[in-house]
Amino acid sequence: MLRPRVIACLDVQDGRVVKGTKFVELRDVGDPVELARRYEAEGADEIVFLDISASHEGRGTFLETVRRTAEVLFIPLTVGGGVRTEDDMNALLRAGADKVSVNSGAVRDPDVLTRGARLFGSQCVVASIDAAWSDEGPEGPGWYHHTHGGRQRTDLEAVAWARECARRGAGEILLTSMDRDGVRTGYDLELTAAVADAVGVPVIASGGAGRAEHLRDGLTRGRADAVLLAGILHDGLTTVTELKKALAEWDVPVRLPDAGS
Amino acid sequence: MNGEGSGPRVALFDYGAGNLHSLAKGLEAGGARVTVTTGWSEALAHEALVLPGVGSFGAAVRALEGHEAEVREALLDGLPCLGICLGMQLFFPDSEEGEGSGIGLMDGRVRRLQARTVPQMGWNDVETTEDPLFRGIAGLTAYYANSFVCEPDDPEVVVAYSQYEDQRFAAAVRRGRSWGVQFHPEKSSRAGLALLRNFLAEVSS
Repeated sequence: MLRPRVIACLDVQDGRVVKGTKFVELRDVGDPVELARRYEAEGADEIVFLDISASHEGRGTFLETVRRTAEVLFIPLTVGGGVRTEDDMNALLRAGADKVSVNSGAVRDPDVLTRGARLFGSQCVVASIDAAWSDEGPEGPGWYHHTHGGRQRTDLEAVAWARECARRGAGEILLTSMDRDGVRTGYDLELTAAVADAVGVPVIASGGAGRAEHLRDGLTRGRADAVLLAGILHDGLTTVTELKKALAEWDVPVRLPDAGS
Repeated sequence: MNGEGSGPRVALFDYGAGNLHSLAKGLEAGGARVTVTTGWSEALAHEALVLPGVGSFGAAVRALEGHEAEVREALLDGLPCLGICLGMQLFFPDSEEGEGSGIGLMDGRVRRLQARTVPQMGWNDVETTEDPLFRGIAGLTAYYANSFVCEPDDPEVVVAYSQYEDQRFAAAVRRGRSWGVQFHPEKSSRAGLALLRNFLAEVSS
């Protein structure tokens, strides 16, 4: 039986993990390599690094961070941030990433998903969708995809865009509700279920996790294949182990690190 | 990259795409001295061959082109081999994923998963057998990232199964001293590292 996944996400800037709400008031919360290892030991099923460095130097530092992490991490590592071409993807995969997530790069050039899937396999290509509700989008009221760390609304309706990304070769959708990001009131279940029902690839729910019930609801009512967490872990409010134990008590069949793996 | 251990000299074949770091480090953690190589004659001169599970079938068969028979003979002669995911699929003559031919170590096909959600992405339970590859590992749950699975003609080669949606598929196969695993041991945390150590123990035995 495939186990629903609990994924820890780290925003990385200039070689450090930072945390803020919607990219403001960033705080340093630690070393990415150490944090990734700690989350593996706690039973996280995967790690995501998002590079939020703006500078060229920051990119080089990020590749080095990926390289150092891959040498000590023995669960999958997805990385993203600023990926535009298949060469960018290759550099990250060669540095030690298992999957690469693409957001703005796929809006500019959707074929990059197809080329990436052909070169590296679709299991390496993750389409990252940042969705926020708008009453005034070109397709009428709905969720619209945003680029540039959420700063620019596109004219792409999020569910249709998710379907398009999967059709073009993305092997997974990382779906962030910008409306819920950082507010800890739970994932946007309506958005998550709409995307999960529309695509035939796995969907990761992101944005809004505050407690174990939210993870359960994302995996059941939201029909997500995986749930992503960031802030509540970095703040030390809870651990992956505690969250997974709670999920197991509610009969969500997560992998428990004590059970032999 | 050359590993420092005192265990077997292992060639990790590089098809030119994807992450080899974790697998190299996982093998080194088990004591192997790892050489990453793109040349078949160099690879086959090692004490064991590891075919990694990264990249696409197309890229891998291009790297294999013209060397299929040479690799097959080396494996049939007893060179220990571990094929991971795509590396396992290369044991078979061909694949639905693309043109070109594999090593042909086993008869059968590589077919697309018959499931609603493809790729299979995540941790899945593995029903293991008494094979030494799984020695000391109780209740294996391993990480998969695959759209294709192997369907060997001879069920005797299958040494582990997993179930995905409605499909039961070969999680691991073995012929002689060649093992193929559809999951990623280098991404399966402690249990995966234990499996790599078991493979290295077989190489040394």
